[in-house]
Amino acid sequence: MELVTTVVSKAGAKKSTVKWKFKMTPMRWVFTGIAAAAIAVILVRFVLGLGATTNLNDQWPWGLWISFDVLLGVALAGGGYGTALIVYVLRRDKFYPIARSAMLTSLLGYIVVVLGLLIEVGQWFNFWRPYVSWGHASVLFEVFWCISCYTVIQILEFCEVGTEKVFKGAHKYLKKAMPVMLIIGITLPTLHQSSLGQLFYLMVGKVNPLWWTAFLPVFFLLSSFFVGAGMIVIESSLAGKALNHKVEIPVLRGLVKISAGAMILYLMLKITDMVVRGTFANAFAFDLPSIMFLSELTFGVIIPIIIAFSSLSSTRKGLIWFGILTVSGVIMNRFDVLFTGMGKYLNQYGGSYVPAVSEFIVSLGLVSIACLAYLFLAENFNILGNHESEHADDIEIKDGKYASTAK
Amino acid sequence: MASKVGRVKSLSRRSFLKFVGGASLVGVTLNLTGCGKPITPDKAIGGNGWMPTQYNAPGNWPTSVRGRVPIDPENPAIVRDDQKCILCGQCIEVCEKIQSVFGNYELPIKKEFVCVNCGQCIQWCPSGAISERDDVNRVFKALADPNVTVVVQTAPATRIGLGEEFGMPVGTNVQGKQVAALRKLGFDVVFDTNFTADLTIMEEGTELVKRVTGELHHPIPQMTSCCPGWVKFVEYFYPELIPNLSSAKSPQQMEGALIKTYFAEKKEVDPKKIFSVAIMPCTAKKFECQRPEMNSASKELNDSNVSPDVDVVLTTRELARMIKRSGIDFASLPEEEYDKLMGTGTGAGVIFGTTGGVMEAAVRSAYYLITGQQPPAALWNLTPVRGMQGVKEAAVNIPGVGDVKVAVISGLANARKVMDQMKAGHAPWAFMEIMACPGGCEYGGGQPRASSPPSDEDRNRRAASLYNIDAKAKLRNSHDNPEIKQIYADFLTAPMSEKAEELLHTHYVSRADDFIPKKSEENKLY
Amino acid sequence: MAKGVLVDIPKCIGCESCSVACKLWNELEWDEQEKNKTAIDRAKEPNNGLWPEEWTSINRYDLEKDSESVARYVKTQCMHCEDPACVSSCFSKAFQKLPEGPVIYDQSLCVGCRYCMMACPFDVLRYEWKKAIPGVRKCQMCATRVANNQETACTSVCPTGAIIFGDREELLAEAKKRIKENGYVDRVFGEKEAGGTSWLYISDTPFEQMRFRTDITSKPLPSYTEGYMKATPFVGVGWAAILAGLYVYNNKGKEPLD
Repeated sequence: MELVTTVVSKAGAKKSTVKWKFKMTPMRWVFTGIAAAAIAVILVRFVLGLGATTNLNDQWPWGLWISFDVLLGVALAGGGYGTALIVYVLRRDKFYPIARSAMLTSLLGYIVVVLGLLIEVGQWFNFWRPYVSWGHASVLFEVFWCISCYTVIQILEFCEVGTEKVFKGAHKYLKKAMPVMLIIGITLPTLHQSSLGQLFYLMVGKVNPLWWTAFLPVFFLLSSFFVGAGMIVIESSLAGKALNHKVEIPVLRGLVKISAGAMILYLMLKITDMVVRGTFANAFAFDLPSIMFLSELTFGVIIPIIIAFSSLSSTRKGLIWFGILTVSGVIMNRFDVLFTGMGKYLNQYGGSYVPAVSEFIVSLGLVSIACLAYLFLAENFNILGNHESEHADDIEIKDGKYASTAK
Repeated sequence: MASKVGRVKSLSRRSFLKFVGGASLVGVTLNLTGCGKPITPDKAIGGNGWMPTQYNAPGNWPTSVRGRVPIDPENPAIVRDDQKCILCGQCIEVCEKIQSVFGNYELPIKKEFVCVNCGQCIQWCPSGAISERDDVNRVFKALADPNVTVVVQTAPATRIGLGEEFGMPVGTNVQGKQVAALRKLGFDVVFDTNFTADLTIMEEGTELVKRVTGELHHPIPQMTSCCPGWVKFVEYFYPELIPNLSSAKSPQQMEGALIKTYFAEKKEVDPKKIFSVAIMPCTAKKFECQRPEMNSASKELNDSNVSPDVDVVLTTRELARMIKRSGIDFASLPEEEYDKLMGTGTGAGVIFGTTGGVMEAAVRSAYYLITGQQPPAALWNLTPVRGMQGVKEAAVNIPGVGDVKVAVISGLANARKVMDQMKAGHAPWAFMEIMACPGGCEYGGGQPRASSPPSDEDRNRRAASLYNIDAKAKLRNSHDNPEIKQIYADFLTAPMSEKAEELLHTHYVSRADDFIPKKSEENKLY
Repeated sequence: MAKGVLVDIPKCIGCESCSVACKLWNELEWDEQEKNKTAIDRAKEPNNGLWPEEWTSINRYDLEKDSESVARYVKTQCMHCEDPACVSSCFSKAFQKLPEGPVIYDQSLCVGCRYCMMACPFDVLRYEWKKAIPGVRKCQMCATRVANNQETACTSVCPTGAIIFGDREELLAEAKKRIKENGYVDRVFGEKEAGGTSWLYISDTPFEQMRFRTDITSKPLPSYTEGYMKATPFVGVGWAAILAGLYVYNNKGKEPLD
């Protein structure tokens, strides 16, 4: 199935038409279905409130939506700023082929985060309050400003890509602004990635000492950086299948090695932190937190390091394993900080929280929407490095028959 | 296209910085001038409600009327609906100043909410937040069960209160209509507690004579025990005076014990299938019937399946509610008679319902018990013990004994004063009648509310109605009651016989360990 | 001068006047289910009997004291920290600590992120989960009354003086006096907990047996993130400068990327 639309610009007699295409495959129908279900739940949430759609309660004011959509969404979208840093600032040009797709993933990730937040907060219509009513002592204040500004920057950065196809006149101006946007666009995520960790530092005595440390911001920052490579690997292999586009192994391998370098730093800091605070006993108590903590480190950090610096990373399989393990490790880490880390405290007098089905639907739905948007954008803009879209543009102008058709 | 380019042009480096800077400036300005202003108390949530005037004075000056009494959620007699409470402080007023219960224990409390279950707080509560524990449904359920014989007794004072619930003047005597209403509700047997009031006089009177003659080694003065609020008060605050309490049960419990033994035997009813209900002007009776000692029938019959002597106590108000719920037109009911066997009472029994009544009835029969002669007419109108004064004294001349000094007290604060005197050694009386509620049962915690807070005017009207019943009664002495003679002849043998002791007498427990009594008046912390 | 409330736990008789006063003054709705709960029920609940419409609750704990079984009633509500975590955690300044003592909340500024609830060291904040437009709910320490030189609603109705309102400093001295005179546990809960609170508790039975968070830090919670937030702008600017430098250096003489 293919959907073709023609945009007619209002400027005078000369018509310029652009072709948009979006092929529906079974997988895409599944995504659409989940997204529709999620939108239904979201509507219910806005009409009846959070109590009707979530299992959140006064012991667990934060649950799946915060941890999955926000904590995790932001972390997994961390590939964008990392790649921007490596490619544009450090000028490691060999990674340029993956730059645009990584940054698009990041943008979509942030849009999901922002949407997720709007659904998650109680008085969503008040989202602008922190812009004028400055609660500047709050770590969340920084997170809020950085995420919202960074999302805007990312949209502008994407406009630079977008204007290659539409509103071409603006392209050169955006291109000029790119250096500033890139630098701001790396600074902001660095700040809020770490601040997301620092959020939990205020919950003194509530979070398990295995995770609650003054290093929280550093750990969050580093893990968001190294998970970027994992995400790119997974994304490129998925996109490779869906869009017939494969990134060369040496590019990915290089990225994976940089990521593993950050992991080594992360691991060393973790161990130092444990030594300083004397939490080895907790780590090897082999209760639930200890098992989660150890597996998070083993499977999410140590094994990926081994993969990265062995010959395994020269195969696609090894790379994919690196990606899966790294991403799972960070997912585990973010869930651990909230659920495993705070479970004992928040449940001490009989509290409990198991996410409702509707919560899962919304989380999955947001991811589905992001996937659909990615596929659409990757097919219609120059994201993966093939210039098909411009090609199609030419055909259209020659053809000149299109007004607004769908077939 | 030109306009569009112009708009997008603002996103050049310089313009972008300008935009960011401008936005920040706007933010800072808004922050400083308006939106970001520190919030003021009036912006806080809540705080728009209402409180009684005494709480709204500036500063934290001590307010004399504040708060409310604690009520145990498990209290068998009294419940409170927090939603209706306005914290007016009236319950504390009556509990502390009239009944001298609240505030007469040291803090911290141990576990117990010190409460004598008198229910005067119900009468004082202006918003209807405090009420009796509603047992109406338990009675309806028993009435609906064809296998159960539901036997009911009505206290002396309910007959002059119930009518008020149906718009009749204060103190209207509705004895016959009450009986008719109970039959209509489906009660199988309707007895009169006046019968056991007379029986109480026989037992208590005999006990008094035995104490005076020294046959019974119990201290004098003897104190009445028919008021469960008063009994609990002694158990709490004056455990050393427990021996002074008459061992005779209250009329309600005597009737209850006899219903499951005497009545069951005579009418050949399985005691296990008897559901015994008492209609009382009192909330403390709900507590009394649950006391573990009040299980004589089960003990006597040696059958643990026999339920307590009195299964349920309903207040006068609850009975009115049952009648109303059943759609019975109370005013048009005929006058009916109580059932025989335990349904006959004398004028002496009916005046149990007001302060001084027990004393007057006791004096009449004591005269007979001591002298063997009928009391003179003067004892049928013993004015010194009538009326609403809290403490009344009288001296009755009984030939052969001389002047017998008696005291009549109503209201527990009054009782406290006299008890403190007794502890100090001043106790010239032979017999004392004490009722927890001011004015006695006729304005007990379970009676209809004639005025709020209760007034002596209404108390006097109700008392007058009781005295009027007594004045018109054919029999005015307890010992003349033919059913009393019959029960002694057929069942109990004699007053204070072994069987009578078992069924009609009880013992008391000290509750002094449940709390720490107030050490002294000066030490009053609250 | 900053006001406070002293809760003398042994003097509480469990009449619950205070919670009714709170309902009256703040026009809080009654809930049939909550209304019928007893102080014993509430003590066993995960949320201490505090709900969006129950800003204070009396909880009963049955304890052993001098080998005797005793009951103690504990009033729970917001502790009104001297340096509150909720105020510092709120990114839209919906919370405010008044100089008179109350920590107040303005729903019109609230975004609804519930970070305050996560941050509160005493877990007293409640959220209106059932509402489409929900807000945070907690004791406001009768801010308008206190600002008006009146005492709080709950203290004004206490018949035994178990909760008394006054200047925090004076109450603290009174608390220490009472501890000495009555042989209470030698701790004023709220003197230093979480950096000190406007509400102070004294007791003759161990606090930890009555669900007090006795292992709590004595540092004000905002101090944990204060330094971080102060450093942020400098770190941000510094980092941006470094990035700019690197960008210029690395792009020198190179074709700009597409």
